[in-house]
Amino acid sequence: MRKKHGHRKLGAGLYIALCFLFLYLPILVTMIFSFNSSKSLTKFEGFSLMWYERLFSDSEIMEAVYVSLSVALLATLISTILGTITAIGLSKSRKLLKEVIVNINNVPIMNPDIVTAIGLMILFSSMKIEKGYLTMLLAHIAFCTPYVITSVYPKVRSLDPSIANAAMDLGATPFQALTKVILPMIKEGIFAGVLLAFTMSFDDFVISYFVTGNGVKNISIIVYNMTKRTNPTINALSTIVIVVIMVTLVIVNVVPAINKKKNKKKMALELENMNHI
Amino acid sequence: MKHYVKLVRPYLIWSVLMIVIPLILIVIYSVTTGGNTLVNIQFTLSNFKKFAEPIYLQVFMKSLQIGVITVLFCFLFGYILAYKICKFSERAQSFMILLVTIPMWINTLLRTYAWMSILSDNGIVNTILTKLGLDPMTFMYTDFAVIVGMVSDFLPFMVIPIYTSLSKIDHSLIEAAHDLGANNVQTFFKVTFKLSLPGVVNGIMMTFLLSVSTFVIPKLLGGGQYMLIGNLIETQFISVGNWNFGSAISMILAVVILIAITIMRRMDPDDAEED
Amino acid sequence: MKKTFAVLAVAALSALALTGCGGSKETLKIYNAGEYIDTSLISKFEKENDCKIVYETFDSNETMYTKIMSGETYDILVPSDYMIERLIKEDKLEKLDWSKISNKENLNPDTMGQVYDPDNTYSVPYFYGTVGILYDTTVVDEADLKDGWNLLRNEKYKGNLYMYDSERDSFMIALEALGYSMNTTDRSEIDQAYNWLIEQRDTMDPIYAGDDMIDNMIAGNKALAVVYSGDGAYIMAENENLDFFEPEEGTNTWYDAMVIMKGSEHVDLAHKFINFMLDNENAAKNSAFVGYTSPVTAAYEKMQEEDYKGIDAYVPNINNENNEVFRYQDAETKQYYADLWTKVKAY
Repeated sequence: MRKKHGHRKLGAGLYIALCFLFLYLPILVTMIFSFNSSKSLTKFEGFSLMWYERLFSDSEIMEAVYVSLSVALLATLISTILGTITAIGLSKSRKLLKEVIVNINNVPIMNPDIVTAIGLMILFSSMKIEKGYLTMLLAHIAFCTPYVITSVYPKVRSLDPSIANAAMDLGATPFQALTKVILPMIKEGIFAGVLLAFTMSFDDFVISYFVTGNGVKNISIIVYNMTKRTNPTINALSTIVIVVIMVTLVIVNVVPAINKKKNKKKMALELENMNHI
Repeated sequence: MKHYVKLVRPYLIWSVLMIVIPLILIVIYSVTTGGNTLVNIQFTLSNFKKFAEPIYLQVFMKSLQIGVITVLFCFLFGYILAYKICKFSERAQSFMILLVTIPMWINTLLRTYAWMSILSDNGIVNTILTKLGLDPMTFMYTDFAVIVGMVSDFLPFMVIPIYTSLSKIDHSLIEAAHDLGANNVQTFFKVTFKLSLPGVVNGIMMTFLLSVSTFVIPKLLGGGQYMLIGNLIETQFISVGNWNFGSAISMILAVVILIAITIMRRMDPDDAEED
Repeated sequence: MKKTFAVLAVAALSALALTGCGGSKETLKIYNAGEYIDTSLISKFEKENDCKIVYETFDSNETMYTKIMSGETYDILVPSDYMIERLIKEDKLEKLDWSKISNKENLNPDTMGQVYDPDNTYSVPYFYGTVGILYDTTVVDEADLKDGWNLLRNEKYKGNLYMYDSERDSFMIALEALGYSMNTTDRSEIDQAYNWLIEQRDTMDPIYAGDDMIDNMIAGNKALAVVYSGDGAYIMAENENLDFFEPEEGTNTWYDAMVIMKGSEHVDLAHKFINFMLDNENAAKNSAFVGYTSPVTAAYEKMQEEDYKGIDAYVPNINNENNEVFRYQDAETKQYYADLWTKVKAY
């Protein structure tokens, strides 16, 4: 029995490894060619750090990194808050309103990026808003929030509606019930929403391209304009992004491991309390 | 429980402003002629009639076909991946799920370029084939290249919602099924798969939307002759400058996708309950 | 709730603060094609004139046009010939004050006075060139070159060629091969060209590639490719097996030129920038970086002797009488071509 189980785990591990290989192959290639000593993206001709030197001396790219990061962070923050409160409110709304909002919410997800982009572009120009950082940020919030709502809403819906009531019966204000009871219970959904929003925003090209102006560019726009002569400077940048993410990942995974012991105790206590009620 | 109803209001205003109004503008474009300014417009349905020409219908069918194939592969690989990940300890699970999301943070265009250097005629795969004494093969500008690029790009969008559903499943249910005499296969289809349906529907919806509307991946990996609906819309808006026709195609695409979503929603037990 | 709104407000404010930056220096907004300038020249100009340049790039003339139509304003644009003609027609450009452009003597007179702007009232050439066929000398038989554009239909090279994924350039090839004008609006001529392209597609299996073909040709993936002369020069500098030729039947001569957008508030500075780009040394530097042919005589001669020595694609033959410059197409004709092109590509 045990032996069979071990075999199965090995099989699972192998399959997962293959999938990750498939997902990471292009990234691996990107990283390797960032150290290429020539411009080629198909032949590795020797090790060099020249593309990293180029990267840091290229103020255009560095500025784009700043724009990409700050827009992604702000858009994620705002759309997570907006999306979460909407999802919570939504579950308590009348059926008609619920349906209207859910359907409107599906529009940016359903529409091809380019259509959303053109729509927003026409909107901004007809409202005479000067295009730049602000329009890019607004557009990013506009297309990130629906993703947050789609990931949070199912979680909210699966909540027992009496939970918040119970908390309020016990003297909690609606705000306390929200932050102390509901939010912790839907935090996985929120976390998924944050991840989606950030990745959508960080990776976006089409919408940013159409709603930006005044020289405000994100990384994707720089890459797209480089298509003419691909050059490994951008590979160097991606390599750095990957390394930063890896480091963050290690930190994120080490910290909860320390906290976990405490949490388990807390959860046990809470469960006990609930049983008493 | 009426306390939170008001929370919807900010988004209601926001979505009217940022979603509904742009959409109305696009609808206006799709049923008018008169160029790219809304100054002297005239009502017409010719933009929609034009779409009925065989060539555009063909493009449309091809997009659906490629979209379905991509979704199928994403689903097949993605479901098994999510399922296998669930077999590990909680810490290992969250680590692996993070590994699934990381590729999404790396610029799509760049990953597509990387596939180009892997698959091109003198690329990495062919170099290896030649070294092994095999004949080099043509991958670039084929359905294969486009689908590889799309699956690799969209797989995380399938894995994450499925994983979220799977990880929610109460293990006692599976044990109960076993206790009641169900074998592994029965348990999987009657319990696990059923309970993971919301995630599956979500994943299929997302990957389908992305693969039907993308234009960058087919353009780079499929070459200029690889014309999908997204490319058609892009061409109309950007190189032809016929916003009216472009808007009409987008409206048609949106409607088709709406129908597809409605059908898929029916499969989601959570949603069906509500109706 | 208050807390959430406070967070929202702070976030919105910080976003506004970011857009509000920028000093009192005069700012010049330039919109050019991607990878189409040696960026060190931008900083040089900023230093010399104590100003700031906001530099944006586009991937095609049409994108640029879309952006302008959406209400975006710039000081300097660098579009191609037919787009300049259109912008002039639509009254989008400012007339130049040539007295402010002291370097005008540096310009090669052959590149001036073209049909899109006969008296150069609005535009100053930036780069120019032709469209031709790049071929691998180790694969392609020199004798086959006499076929001109029909070389692209020689079945010896089936599956071994790149067409350029551009509607106008592809129709240009077909129309020239058939002996018609590349600017024709005659539907039957266009239809014949369409058939030429369809037959070529069916017999030759070409790849309609974008600029990714540059990398592929350097790597030697295919034997034939339709390229702009400037890209040809760049590719040949990297792969010595390649050569470039322009069919006798005639080809497209193209110009990309600097223009000042109507309503620019920095007309003086814009003129200074144009003049700066015509400086012999700056033009040479720019041409060396981009690989395209400079209309500044001294820079052109210098490149022929140094960076692009022996590379004939750097010296496009614009004197072929059969060559033409693209003209502006009215919306209807453009739509007609565009629909046919979609049919050629999507099958």
